[in-house]
Amino acid sequence: MSSNGIDYYTVDELMATCMARTIKEGNTVYNAVAVPLPFTAIMLASKTHAPNSIFWGGLLAGVNPRPPFLPQTSGDSVMLYHANPVLHAHHIYDLAMRGELDRIFFSGAQIDKYGNLNNTLIGSLDNIRIKLPGGAGASHLACLARNYTIWSIRHEATLSGKGKKIFTFVDQVDFVTTVGHKTPEGTREEWGLRGGGPDLVVTNLGTFDFEPETHLMRLKTMHPGLTREEILESTGFEPVLSDSIAETPPPTREEVEIIRETDPMETRKLGFSPETLAKRFDF
Amino acid sequence: MGIHSSKNKLCSLFEAVSQIEDGSLIAVGGNLSAREPMAIIREMICQGKHDMHNIGGAHGIDVDLMCAGGVLKKVQNSYVGFEADFGLAPNYRRLVEQGRIESQDTDCVAILTQLRASVFGVPFMPMPLVKGTDILKLNQEFKTMMCPYTDEEISILPALKPDWAIIHAHKSDKKGNIRLFPPYFSDLLVVEASRNAIVSVEEIVSEKEMDRIGANIPYYEVTAVVEVPFGAHPTSCYPDYSYDREHISEYMKLAKQGEATFEAKYLDKYVRNLKDHQIYIDLVGGKEGLSKLTKWNEDHGTWKRLLMPSAA
Repeated sequence: MSSNGIDYYTVDELMATCMARTIKEGNTVYNAVAVPLPFTAIMLASKTHAPNSIFWGGLLAGVNPRPPFLPQTSGDSVMLYHANPVLHAHHIYDLAMRGELDRIFFSGAQIDKYGNLNNTLIGSLDNIRIKLPGGAGASHLACLARNYTIWSIRHEATLSGKGKKIFTFVDQVDFVTTVGHKTPEGTREEWGLRGGGPDLVVTNLGTFDFEPETHLMRLKTMHPGLTREEILESTGFEPVLSDSIAETPPPTREEVEIIRETDPMETRKLGFSPETLAKRFDF
Repeated sequence: MGIHSSKNKLCSLFEAVSQIEDGSLIAVGGNLSAREPMAIIREMICQGKHDMHNIGGAHGIDVDLMCAGGVLKKVQNSYVGFEADFGLAPNYRRLVEQGRIESQDTDCVAILTQLRASVFGVPFMPMPLVKGTDILKLNQEFKTMMCPYTDEEISILPALKPDWAIIHAHKSDKKGNIRLFPPYFSDLLVVEASRNAIVSVEEIVSEKEMDRIGANIPYYEVTAVVEVPFGAHPTSCYPDYSYDREHISEYMKLAKQGEATFEAKYLDKYVRNLKDHQIYIDLVGGKEGLSKLTKWNEDHGTWKRLLMPSAA
């Protein structure tokens, strides 16, 4: 494929590439609700390094769809395009229960230092300040899938009306919709969960893995042009820092071309801040 | 499921919905903005149905509208929202935050596992261990046990047997044999697990035609069938029509303005006091206006414009 005319990439494209690279050749991959960026990443992996990966396109449960564009509502039949056969939603959950689902992608309105995700409520069960939509299958599937990739397009600090900093990446989530590696009640290993939990966190600022001994999020790479300080200022806890933190490996021109072809409506960009999207990284 | 052996299931929307008792456990077909039984839901609101307990996976305008219309007391869903498309579900969110609707957030896998316990006629279903999530605090009936065969800890979930399934499908004959085209989501399971099912369909066909195309929901699982063309509007019913993003956009705008505005400008206009479904169809553009939704498959450009009006 010629990649003429691809002379820059943007953060959404960098993130999609990082997320795609968590899919290995032959992996089984699922994703369902509220997910234009993971859909992009999954299609990219299947068109590049993981042509034999198997993907069920959302709740429509079509096998290996080849959508001509990506929709804003994941239940749209564009996610059935060229999918065959079309199953029923529980077939994918059965596969996960059998331990045969390799990877899934989850995000969170809040994400904490152990990789726990909150998509249920802000506040507490007794005092719900904001009712969030819910985690869909992210509570049970996170216990079952071999691994999952966490992603966030809102790795940032915003100011509340009272001038208080509000983070997406928090010390402790208000509600554990999706369990990461550790909660106040124990760890994934202690409980004996089937799935291995999150192994990579991809954000608009960088990527993190988890330190095995402490289960804490550890800064792995920073996106081009960012400093450690900028990332720490946007993070509500102190991540583990190693002495040398690499720059996030860029996408190839071919990967960027495939992303733009796969998602011509640019639904993958929905929800990013305009400043983040305005950044262009030259090849 | 219940066995409904009658060979004539045809009735009006009013007759079908009037059978649903207040306080019922209901399960809605479709998912998100796709193939929701919206005409049935509007009729439930018109008839003043209340105190219903809804169970399901990932849903959107169907649950949000039932919340606004006073139908629901409790929502036991895994997701209620509009994704990257429009964000949070305004009516659901408002009523839960005000404590007027109880939300028992659950999980897609859990709900379908519980429905399958009902299908299999067992009181609970085992599944591999689930722990660490606060969803278990909201669902204290989810327990664990030691497997008597393998000595490993497993999760167990009690059966859920809805009183009523409500779904929208493509074709039915008068007996109630249903032909549903993909995507199926979980509709076959929802119907099989429930005591009763109301199915609205785009078209009633002859039994001969149903023999030709083949049914995939057996008539004896179906309590009542109603012919309601565009019965899923404003959600999609592929391959017949895409969703009506402009209408949902108007819905969202009004819902975000609060209860009084939504009552006056949406519920009173599009739901209440309508003599029949035809009036609704005329209000939302008539057969001619809606024909744009049926032309989604003319080419990819047309389809894209329906899904994102600003798209080229």
